[in-house]
Amino acid sequence: MIWLNSTWALVVKDIRSELRTRYALNALFMFVVTSVATILFALREDELSPEILSGMYWIVIFFSAMSGLSRIFVSEEERGTSLTLQLIATPSMVFVGKLIFNCGLTLLLSSAVTILYMLSFPAFVVKSAILFIVTIFLGSLGFASAATIIAAIIAKARTKGTLYPVLSFPILIPLLMTVMKSTSRSINGDLLSNAFGDFQVLISYILVMTAGSILLFDFVWKD
Amino acid sequence: MYELLNQNQLFIVLTVILTIWFGIIWYLARLEKKIKKLESHIKKVD
Amino acid sequence: MNYVKCFSVFLISVSIITGIAIPMVPQPQGWLEFPIIPGLEDKARNIFFHVPVAWTSVLGFLVALFFGYKYLRTKNLDYDMKSVTSAGLGLMFCILATVTGSIWAKFNWGSFWNWDPRETSIFILLLIYGAYFALRSAIDSDEIRARLSAVYSILAGLTAPFFIFIMPRIVGGLHPGAKGDTAGSTPVAQLHMPTNMRIVFFMSIIGFSLLFVWLFKLRIRAAQLENHLSNKEN
Repeated sequence: MIWLNSTWALVVKDIRSELRTRYALNALFMFVVTSVATILFALREDELSPEILSGMYWIVIFFSAMSGLSRIFVSEEERGTSLTLQLIATPSMVFVGKLIFNCGLTLLLSSAVTILYMLSFPAFVVKSAILFIVTIFLGSLGFASAATIIAAIIAKARTKGTLYPVLSFPILIPLLMTVMKSTSRSINGDLLSNAFGDFQVLISYILVMTAGSILLFDFVWKD
Repeated sequence: MYELLNQNQLFIVLTVILTIWFGIIWYLARLEKKIKKLESHIKKVD
Repeated sequence: MNYVKCFSVFLISVSIITGIAIPMVPQPQGWLEFPIIPGLEDKARNIFFHVPVAWTSVLGFLVALFFGYKYLRTKNLDYDMKSVTSAGLGLMFCILATVTGSIWAKFNWGSFWNWDPRETSIFILLLIYGAYFALRSAIDSDEIRARLSAVYSILAGLTAPFFIFIMPRIVGGLHPGAKGDTAGSTPVAQLHMPTNMRIVFFMSIIGFSLLFVWLFKLRIRAAQLENHLSNKEN
């Protein structure tokens, strides 16, 4: 019970401090808007195939996540509060709290990108909505689970900004490949039952990454 | 001359590859000897 | 240790000679003839070198992962050094595997790179090695560097099964054992090879693995000598 309360308290603390400065939210939002605008300028009225649309969708999500998701740990290091955090909470509490925060952030991000895409591209008509929603949901969770532990790792390094995508990309590739395929299937209007293989991969990815990160976080966090 | 080379392509490839390979082995053996010499030198000094 | 060196040289030399010189005939008889595989013919000889090199690069990654795990358990920086040397060797073999693979792909399938799942996974292994060394160069403190690179190698190791087993099943590809291939078999895609080819193949794999061990030991000893000398200077 204490564990849940403390973890939730950490999440609330992160949300509060985020709302105070709005740094990560602004970064993500501006990134998303600029990338979608650039794509719009480049493509205008061209007919876009589902594969291209889903690829672009996840490219925008990937790079926005890379610019925004590392804030949770890097801000702790920058503000000097990581030592305090080490003292007042166990590593698992800290990690799960940050993970929940990141999950919320990625879900917010993917919803924003979806809305923007629907407004900007007339070709982005999703034929099987349920498939799309489930894919986006699982994909965002997978993103958050892998990105959080990598953020914890680079928080202690020097060149944080450039190192983050370099480290995350190989870890995220299985997720990206599966989710892009699943998204293009949903735009095409495929049946839900056909996508169960992809869902299995996504769910197992989320489980493996979360379990592995929780176990490994102890070694990253404690000095 | 060219026909001779053309006919025995396989053996040309074999010779080139074997030369490269034995060159690598010779280099590794030389390294091995050097490291052994250094290690015994250090052991003597200690 | 001498056995490792002699054996590796012997095995690889024999597999080079037999792999290249044994003729490929339509109806092989006896041990000194290989069958012709339709579509591959003479190019099949590459299998004796490309696959063992790729296997050795994976071996390098697994050894680096193992020593990273040992470091996390014991905090002994010796293990960290072993982890880096193994990763360095693994990177070298990975580059060799990618190059030999793409040259073979050019001759067999028409272009140097096709984003076939196996090609993608060797490319990802390359990326993982690159990320590993980038991470190491970005940290100054020895202990933190050892800790974080061990954690990253374990994390990357966790995603590896996704490539090896799942991707080739879902996304069809050019390599044997992918979805569209009716003749392929096990997950690690062994071609149906006749016995004499299989012997040469396994000799090559074992030879390259032993070569990896020899190179590994050499680099460890050289690094230990360097450490010793720099300690003496201080």
